[in-house]
Amino acid sequence: MRGRTPLLALRQVSRYFGAVEALVDVDLEVHAHEVVALVGDNGAGKSTLAQIVAGVLTPSSGQVEIDGEPVSIPSPSAANQLGVASVFQDLAVCENLDVTANVFLGQELRGRGGLLRDGAMETETRELLEHLTVRIPSVRTPLRHLSAGQRQAVAIARTLVGQPRIVVLDEPTAALSVAQTAEVLTHIQRLRELGLGVVLISHNLNDVRAVSDRIEVLRHGRNNGSFPATAAHEEILAAITGAA
Amino acid sequence: MVGSQSSLREANRARVVDAVKRHGGLTQVELSGATGLSPATVSTIVKELVAAELVEVRNTVRSGRRAQLVTLAHRVGIVAGVLVGTRHLTVAIADVSHEILAEQVLPLPAEHRADTSLDRAALLVVDLLERVGAELPEVLGIGLGLPAPVDASSGQVTVRGILRGWDGVPVAQVLSKRLARPVFVDNDANLGALAESTVGAAREVHDALYVRAGHGVGAGIVLAGRVHRGVAGTAGEIGHVQVDPGGDICSCGSRGCLDTVVGDRALLDPLRSSHGHLTLADVVRLAGEDDPGCREIVADAGAVIGGVVAGLATSLNPELVVVGGALSTTGEVFLGPLREALRRRTLLQQVMPLDVVPAALGTRAELEGALALALQHTDLLEPQVESGLPGIVAAGQVGTGKGNR
Repeated sequence: MRGRTPLLALRQVSRYFGAVEALVDVDLEVHAHEVVALVGDNGAGKSTLAQIVAGVLTPSSGQVEIDGEPVSIPSPSAANQLGVASVFQDLAVCENLDVTANVFLGQELRGRGGLLRDGAMETETRELLEHLTVRIPSVRTPLRHLSAGQRQAVAIARTLVGQPRIVVLDEPTAALSVAQTAEVLTHIQRLRELGLGVVLISHNLNDVRAVSDRIEVLRHGRNNGSFPATAAHEEILAAITGAA
Repeated sequence: MVGSQSSLREANRARVVDAVKRHGGLTQVELSGATGLSPATVSTIVKELVAAELVEVRNTVRSGRRAQLVTLAHRVGIVAGVLVGTRHLTVAIADVSHEILAEQVLPLPAEHRADTSLDRAALLVVDLLERVGAELPEVLGIGLGLPAPVDASSGQVTVRGILRGWDGVPVAQVLSKRLARPVFVDNDANLGALAESTVGAAREVHDALYVRAGHGVGAGIVLAGRVHRGVAGTAGEIGHVQVDPGGDICSCGSRGCLDTVVGDRALLDPLRSSHGHLTLADVVRLAGEDDPGCREIVADAGAVIGGVVAGLATSLNPELVVVGGALSTTGEVFLGPLREALRRRTLLQQVMPLDVVPAALGTRAELEGALALALQHTDLLEPQVESGLPGIVAAGQVGTGKGNR
């Protein structure tokens, strides 16, 4: 069952870009085994928040806690060390490399003398894809031959290398067909079942309400309501647009 | 003999068939990647499998180059099954021998709506057909299951409020207009009953009850080998039998229905203070992992449902009760108390004591039933199909659902 201490907590986090208030005193908690959706209009601060958690940006003020301990996340590799993995909108995958190379990009397994352990990486990639129930015929296929949904799956599989506990997904279903969306949403449910805490950022309320446990609304960089996933569509929309 | 040439060849053939099944359709190059066999071996095996009529090869384009797409052989034609659940939409494509060629699950939001969900169902059917290299005109029919009582001819939900967001929608017409294929609609528990009585646990008995316990509770009644629907399609809706005269008002408008006592909300709410936010799937998994709180919830639900099933069984005197749905996957945790509730009723123990068994098709019974429903209706059309006019048979028609039920 869920521990009382959240895996990840943001306390009164603010981030300014000059005069722009991207985030103002934002609170967020993510527990193990939980999918927390972050929704809001363009410029609401969703991606800024994701980048703070991923170590791309540092907060101007406020505290980030992992397992109840205050931490600073100065860089993406520091985030990895703390068990936070992220997939951004542009995926950052390499078209010319195969599935295995993409999954282990920048975190290759090396053996004696610094040689790459290709076999081990391939086996592990296959296991990761199996874990997520991803359907990709071969781990040696270059990414350019895969569909948008399969690329998203590879990007999600990459987050699982090094056994993270928190995964941040920024717009994972944008520009996917229905079947591909179905697969990605199923992968997100798998991550939850594996006991991870997931932060899901999306514009699509339908997708968000399908897989999240809790929905946090951001509006103009501020918290503007927290809803259970069973809350009505209209209620959440009202919080996003400020109609309520 | 282990390691002999012929057993190796046999194993390689099995790998190729497995890979094709898993992916729906693969080019020969992809098959080689998926199985780890050399392109030459794959090519030889595919030729053998084509000769054995296990797979088919058709031309396709991959990455701008011509390629050979290998799919399972579609015997005569194919059907689609669509199962609309409380929180999931499942779409499957199968051939007439009931072999599933492709399948996809899409998680749905709570209280999803007919317009969005049917739109997604239609797109998924088309996407899956593409995956197996088939086209819409090859589809003989589409079977669709809804978690509410439905009118078989229009597919419209007959009791308002049970499936909010779907009220007043002629489901069969909407989907058949969209896909230009005949669509047949039934209640999910009835579909489970259809599948279990034709290919599942109840295939050798004439009178049986199929009880489905998941987000809500429903039952399908099989009498003399046929699913009994009733005049408004509400036969077997045990979720709306009153069990607590002083209880809450149900989504149907009556007081104290079984669903208000063992529906998903009623099961999850008592766990909130101790376990936090859980889904029904979490409860089922935790009950399997011996979590005492979740076991308690599931066992108590089994006892209450058993009481209502006992009443239905006393009226109908079936030979067998088949239990499906998510809760049934906890095994004896759920089935034990349910069985015990039936055992206490004297009439159910006469001549042939009533047996309670888990669904042979497990949680797939309803989806198999949706495919069976489509197949059942297309069986009637088969002579025309064989005359080589599959494309125009019943095109755009809506099944009446009355012909053979």
